[in-house]
Amino acid sequence: MSAGESFWSKAWRKFLGDRFGLASAGIVLGYFVIALGVWLDLWGQQWSTLTSGSNLPMSSAHWFGTNLSGQDIFDRAIYSTKTAFEIGLSVAVLSTILGAILGAISGFFAGRWSDEVILWLMGTLDSIPFYLFVAAVAFALQGHPLAMHAAMIATFWTTTARVVRGEVMKLKELEFIEAARAIGVPQHLIIFRHILPNTSHLLLVQATIVFVSAIKSEVILSFLGLGVQDGVSWGLMIAESTQEVIVGQFKNFFAASGMLFVLVMAFNLFSDALQDALDPKKVH
Amino acid sequence: MRNHAVTYLATLLVALGLVACGKGTDQPATGSDGSALKVYRHSMDGAPTNLDPVHSATIYANFLVLNTYDTLYSYKYLTRPYALKPNLAAAMPEVSQDGLTYTIRIKPGVRFVDDSAFANGQGRELVASDVAYSLKRHFDPSNRSQGSWLWAGRIKGLDAWGENGADYSQDVEGLEVIDKHTLAIHLTKPYPQLTYTLAVGFSAVVPHEAVTKYGRELSIRPVGSGPFRMAKFDTAKAVLEANPHFRQEPIDLAAEGFDPAVHGGLGLEAIEGRSPPFIDRLEIDFILETAARWNSFTKGNEIQFTSVPVEQTDTVLDSRDPIELKPDWTERYHSTTGVEAGFVFTSLNMDKPYLGHNDDPQQDARNRELRCAMRDAMDWTARNNRFYSGIGVVFPGIVPPAASDLHSKLSQDSVSRNLERARARLKKAGWTQDNLPTLEYGFQNSVTSRQLFEQFRGFMADIGYPSSKIKPVSFATFGDYNKAIKTSQLDVIPMGWGLDYPDSENTLQLFYGPNHTPGSNNSNYSNPAFDALFEKTAVMQPGPEREELYLDMSQMVVDDCVTISGLSRNRIYLWHKDVIGLPDREILGGFWLRYVDIKSADDQTTPAS
Amino acid sequence: MLQYTLKKLLAGLPLILGVTFISFVLMVYFGPDKTYELAGKNPTEEQIAQIRADLGYDQPFFKRYTNYVIELATLNFGHSDSTGERVTRLLGRTIPISLALTLPGFVLGNVIGILLALLAAYYRSTWIDKSIMTFAVVGMSVSFLIIIIGFQVMFSSAYGLNMFPVRGWSMDTLGEYLYYVTVPTLAIVFVSLGYNTRFYRAVIVEELGKDHIRTARAYGASARSILLKRVLKNSMIPIITRIMFSIPLVVISGSLLIESYFGIPGVGKVTYDAITTGDQPVLKAVVGATAVLFVVVLIVTDVLYRLFDPRVELK
Repeated sequence: MSAGESFWSKAWRKFLGDRFGLASAGIVLGYFVIALGVWLDLWGQQWSTLTSGSNLPMSSAHWFGTNLSGQDIFDRAIYSTKTAFEIGLSVAVLSTILGAILGAISGFFAGRWSDEVILWLMGTLDSIPFYLFVAAVAFALQGHPLAMHAAMIATFWTTTARVVRGEVMKLKELEFIEAARAIGVPQHLIIFRHILPNTSHLLLVQATIVFVSAIKSEVILSFLGLGVQDGVSWGLMIAESTQEVIVGQFKNFFAASGMLFVLVMAFNLFSDALQDALDPKKVH
Repeated sequence: MRNHAVTYLATLLVALGLVACGKGTDQPATGSDGSALKVYRHSMDGAPTNLDPVHSATIYANFLVLNTYDTLYSYKYLTRPYALKPNLAAAMPEVSQDGLTYTIRIKPGVRFVDDSAFANGQGRELVASDVAYSLKRHFDPSNRSQGSWLWAGRIKGLDAWGENGADYSQDVEGLEVIDKHTLAIHLTKPYPQLTYTLAVGFSAVVPHEAVTKYGRELSIRPVGSGPFRMAKFDTAKAVLEANPHFRQEPIDLAAEGFDPAVHGGLGLEAIEGRSPPFIDRLEIDFILETAARWNSFTKGNEIQFTSVPVEQTDTVLDSRDPIELKPDWTERYHSTTGVEAGFVFTSLNMDKPYLGHNDDPQQDARNRELRCAMRDAMDWTARNNRFYSGIGVVFPGIVPPAASDLHSKLSQDSVSRNLERARARLKKAGWTQDNLPTLEYGFQNSVTSRQLFEQFRGFMADIGYPSSKIKPVSFATFGDYNKAIKTSQLDVIPMGWGLDYPDSENTLQLFYGPNHTPGSNNSNYSNPAFDALFEKTAVMQPGPEREELYLDMSQMVVDDCVTISGLSRNRIYLWHKDVIGLPDREILGGFWLRYVDIKSADDQTTPAS
Repeated sequence: MLQYTLKKLLAGLPLILGVTFISFVLMVYFGPDKTYELAGKNPTEEQIAQIRADLGYDQPFFKRYTNYVIELATLNFGHSDSTGERVTRLLGRTIPISLALTLPGFVLGNVIGILLALLAAYYRSTWIDKSIMTFAVVGMSVSFLIIIIGFQVMFSSAYGLNMFPVRGWSMDTLGEYLYYVTVPTLAIVFVSLGYNTRFYRAVIVEELGKDHIRTARAYGASARSILLKRVLKNSMIPIITRIMFSIPLVVISGSLLIESYFGIPGVGKVTYDAITTGDQPVLKAVVGATAVLFVVVLIVTDVLYRLFDPRVELK
């Protein structure tokens, strides 16, 4: 796959030349380090501890002050980064894998019964309003901590699958696939060893888009009480803050929505840059 | 391009057609002659779902039921503690010597509102058999009554009537219709609280014609004889109009408990001698989000009444004890405060062998120490400050101040934080971080209940209870939360209880053994001594002797550390200056809305006193 | 044409069955248990058993699903378990409200989105394009939740302009309608604009790169005529697809957040309440309606494709 080599190095070179892309990647990486630190118990562990005073102003002890319950807002916002990455990563990775496999099978066997079944499944899932579906899954799983993740994975894979399906239908007509088929390479090897790797640039971009959607959906779901069960998240913090903004307590609101906004914005830009770099048609 | 335009046009037309079909029944705010209608816009922090009296279990449904239907009794407008008065009944009931027969006379000439359910569309007279019919409905299994427990096993033959097919043509021995305007209720055993139960929404009088006509949809179209009739009702709002046929009953302010020293300055004098209702239209907005409710109230041209959200306490209050508003707020709005007729408490499940009752006396004693240590860890002051504006009333025992002053005779010990004693208790009983049981704390998912949980877990952490051993179990619906409680799955159960009537019996029954879940005894407390006293007091008339026994019962629950109790919330209410009234959402509840009046535009130009 | 429609409807049956089956399993069979909400404060075992029987919880899975399909076919969903209102009446009352609430924002969001996209695409890589796209990314990155909270404080409260209502809904007169619909519309437009602009720009940029457009440009056709006559017309297929497939969501789920925050009694709020209280008759009707609507949208989209591109055959 020498053609692939040069494709990736070219993409890398293009990406390095994109100032916005680099900066946003840096920001995303920064967030990731924060999340990793929480995960490794390095910081953000005091998110639930009650301190002495409620609604304390910003100070050296509490960088972002405390909320009404007297919990440290900075610690809560930091801890929420972990929550966001946990959801974003798990949903992005799993829904991409699911979408890639089903999309590839569907594309490779286009027009056959397996394709029909997968298309039917995608159509069905797309026809159920998202929030209804997530709520229903949350209830069906009886408040299981991963109910929200499962629901998002179950809905987000369809877009990826459609993209992959289209690409695979193009790829399978290419010469080297025809050749592999001619010499009798088994079908599953053709799909997973020869075709799928050639869709990886699409998968990468798709995964970043899903990551952002997952984080944004988490905020609304947690606000509605369908999201995070134990722990804290930006959505829960914004839900808390709706009671506080009208009395001029903006710390909770700004901490959560600010961190959310910067991460989503950076991820959107990063995703754009990635898309540009990986688009073979684009010449800079 | 033309095709494109056609598509849009078609879409728009379809939409407009649908819009036209969806037109509401809202009346314009002025009469046909252009004179201003008197409209009062009330707000509530929750929405009722079902307005059929047999389903009026929530405070919100009860509010609307009391305004569209009539009950035999109600409460005096301004007298506190709350005192009953006749409403649909002509007088207080005549009770026989043995306390088993209540004879009730109904005011003649009371009419149901006009409705197509009646012949000619005109409301007919309400008679004694309607009252009997309405009580029977609770025992018809197909109605799934939420209020039948108030009378279950109390009225002769009523339970049996329901079990034997609920045939409405059959008479019930205990509900004797003596004549058109007289009903005698025969009890199986004395029930001193009976008159109270005839002042709750459950006992509202329903005409059978409406049940026949509307069936299950009676739940959204009340047909009663109350001061208002329903014009529009949905998930966001109810619009009620004055019932033009409502019986003429001029207000006697003195009899209602008016005291110029307490009630002066509210303009209540204006309603003296006039017959309610005074307003043409009553609108009730159901606003769950405190921010939206507050915005709507302070705007000036929307809702005219709100309770002050906890987070706005500092904005509004100058001092918490005594409660005083800042001058610019008293200038703009009327205000009052009211301690709820109910309380919040956190029960521990006595069914669990690692926390509650245990057949092994030694383990039983250890469990008691654990429960008492948890109670000692509770910081009521912090809880009050954080969640109840610091103005809630913390009291020992299980009878809230609104029902009785029992709490003043109990030691404050059970509501005082004592970390050292808590740790000593754990140590003495051999509890360590390793062998403490893992407890499931249940709640219905919401921001506040989650914060309450985090605070509770924080309190327990202060006595060395590992945070990982107190697990949140959140439920998305009240139904699922209630199911977990009623099937005894949870260990720690945060609860709120609103009194159905101002009698201690209503909260003591929460700890009566035979009321074990799925009954109302959510903590599954079982103490033969308590149960014996409960049965003894249940048939006693009010008096010091009964109070003495109530005190003993309260003390038992305190000594056994069954529950961490309690706090009665204190709410601050604000209403616009042009509204004449004194709001109440407790025992009086929905009854007060009929007394509301609005100052007309001319009156408003005169400065308020 | 009729034959085509019937054929399409038949082809849509598996989709309807799929949606109803999955929804049934999730929302009805494993959904929340309403028994203990209806039971009141102090129920007995008998009362609980009675309620379960009334709600049909004690019947086997297959029977319940068959009942649902029959209900769907006869459009008879019975009464709401919460309010007792007839389900068809409930939907007939609330769907028009949600439509009237979301439609202006939906139309404006798409029209403005297309206009901005045309502008950005035509002036590709200039400062116009860059500022429009920056705006789009910012718009995409702000949470809907924050916009609703912010807009309500800004436009409707005494702390802001105080020009619009915080709560309520009325469509009796055009003035009242505009009074209530303005702020929700602004919020909907703001939140959808970023996504729409980006999507439409990508479509139009691709179209602009095609040979015949380049030729027309080379021949000096005016910018306006190129954009409107050729580019927009040729981009119609993806644009229709996007718009049409959002319609079921606009009609059915309305805008739950907006409806609950602004106190508007639409179908989004009703549906959400139905989920959180386990009101199964309402849920069954809403899900069924969504599935049918999707099939209708599929058919209408096909017809529209043909209107805009005669090469597409109806088959």
